[in-house]
Amino acid sequence: MKQVTIPSGANLSQLYRELAGDYPKFFKMDIASKLGFLLTEMLVAGAPDRFTPRQDRAVLVFSREGCVANDRHYADSMADFPSPALFVYTLPNIVTGEIAIRNKYAGESSAYVLEAFDKAQIQAIVRQAFLDRETRSAIVAWIDCPSDTEWTAEAWLIDNNDI
Amino acid sequence: MTPVYCIGSGVVTPLGNTPQDVFRAVRQGRTALCLHTGYPEPYYASLLSRDCVGKGVLFDQIVRDAASAAVKEAGIDASSPRTGLVLSTIKGNVEVLGKADVSLAVQARRLANALGVTTQPTVVSNACISGLAALVQGMRMIQSGQYDHVIVAGAEVQSRFIVTGFQSLKALSLTACKPFDAARDGLNLGEAAAAMVLSSHADASQWELVSGCIRNDANHISGPSRTGEGSYNALRYVLQHARPEDVAFVNVHGTATRYNDEMEAIALYRAGLQNMPVNALKGVFGHTMGAAGILESIISILALETGVVLPTKGFETLGVSVPVNVSAKERPAQGNSFVKLLSGFGGVNGALLFRKGGAR
Amino acid sequence: MEQLINEIKLKVIDALNLEGMTPEDIEDNAPLFGDEGLGLDSIDVLELIVLLEKNYGIRLATPADGKAVFTSIATMASYVAANRTK
Repeated sequence: MKQVTIPSGANLSQLYRELAGDYPKFFKMDIASKLGFLLTEMLVAGAPDRFTPRQDRAVLVFSREGCVANDRHYADSMADFPSPALFVYTLPNIVTGEIAIRNKYAGESSAYVLEAFDKAQIQAIVRQAFLDRETRSAIVAWIDCPSDTEWTAEAWLIDNNDI
Repeated sequence: MTPVYCIGSGVVTPLGNTPQDVFRAVRQGRTALCLHTGYPEPYYASLLSRDCVGKGVLFDQIVRDAASAAVKEAGIDASSPRTGLVLSTIKGNVEVLGKADVSLAVQARRLANALGVTTQPTVVSNACISGLAALVQGMRMIQSGQYDHVIVAGAEVQSRFIVTGFQSLKALSLTACKPFDAARDGLNLGEAAAAMVLSSHADASQWELVSGCIRNDANHISGPSRTGEGSYNALRYVLQHARPEDVAFVNVHGTATRYNDEMEAIALYRAGLQNMPVNALKGVFGHTMGAAGILESIISILALETGVVLPTKGFETLGVSVPVNVSAKERPAQGNSFVKLLSGFGGVNGALLFRKGGAR
Repeated sequence: MEQLINEIKLKVIDALNLEGMTPEDIEDNAPLFGDEGLGLDSIDVLELIVLLEKNYGIRLATPADGKAVFTSIATMASYVAANRTK
């Protein structure tokens, strides 16, 4: 099992240039999606055949706050001209979609909201995700961003031998 | 794997507050869809009455009522350490954004307290497939032995936040939506709550949740896949658990947007289901988002209990590029199983196979 | 017209978060969508509709109405010049 972290307040644009640099859609993403994108880059960089489409890898993202930082941006735009580009990120699972699109993961993708980071609860849900007979590995992340500048962002690459 | 059954259900909708009442209303062709004054643009939606809310929060009230009814029917002890709770919603009580804590975990905590649930609640927020994904999560909690019973409740209330958002996406129709129809021009939003109690203990008459699957298109965060990839893959997975002749119908997502219905038609066609009876309930309830997967499953169960494929309200002339067998009118159902199908933003798709009890 | 083209480029870069791009990087007649040119997508079109309404008082009902308008920066500029209400 591989684990990565992005410290709160880190310069994400700089991190993006170091880790990827070839995916300008990054700059359109909300904070949770940016963190999910970068955490996954850190986990799978250099993996053989990393962009070959696959259905055997799940993407499971957990948080307490969902996408509240972006919700506030959308609500600000609502008073004037509601922004479609902000509205599409007002769903807690869009981060899982961004990871799936970037890495061509056509397996399971789900977003969960918990009252707090609870290792036992997350472990149980991840173990249960492997009940899908086609799932062999999972990107699991805790991405909690109360705002655009403070967050907790950790991710793990787990395969069925870890379960 | 431990079989999982639905042993209780509850609903709160503009058409009634018991599954039987709502099912009867659907058969009578009723709907609460109508034009509402907007923010400022008008919008066509199926909304609950605000009259009886009082000082409470509408979201909390409807999800509690639906879940309580399901628990009562199931006759389980909600406070048992062997009872779990899964909440499905997309935006919860987002109306209070800026004034109070809008984390969906707050709604889950209030629901747990209202029901007397003592275990840690889980929220599944997986866009428009949330309800179905929550049922899959509930199934797995039982299959893994974590719980004996899981209460799965879903709800959505509409607000300026959601309505203006869908308007900005140009996704709303200004008339009653027309799933799969040639003249379809967008979706209608809806409000509802729905709940099921899942259990490993059941008698022979109860419905089994046989197999559920979630798959991503890995294509675009808001545009449905042109090849129906995720929806096809989810269908393919659950259909491995059924004999083709046993499946009576597929209750599809059928939002009545150009791209969703086209995508679903392609997925059904690729799965070899071009002759399979297909129906959609969005013309009755609108798109009830976090409630949709559970509500539409409950109504589909009652339909197959009664031996019918429900009509697709709003559908007249097929308007997709491949043949699909959409039910315009009610017709007799043949088989003991059905598939619930949903898709949503984030490229996510889900399928869930239900089978009538005693038919294993 | 040249001034309007430049203004629209700046607004497009800002509205669509085209990080690191300057007006000089966008050719007046290059396609905005598809693999050539800017490679914008369906959400970008919707955001461009908002841009027209917000800045120039022009309302497009559906993305389909905008197809010809959003061919390139040049087509956007001539449409704005002919239809602006502010």
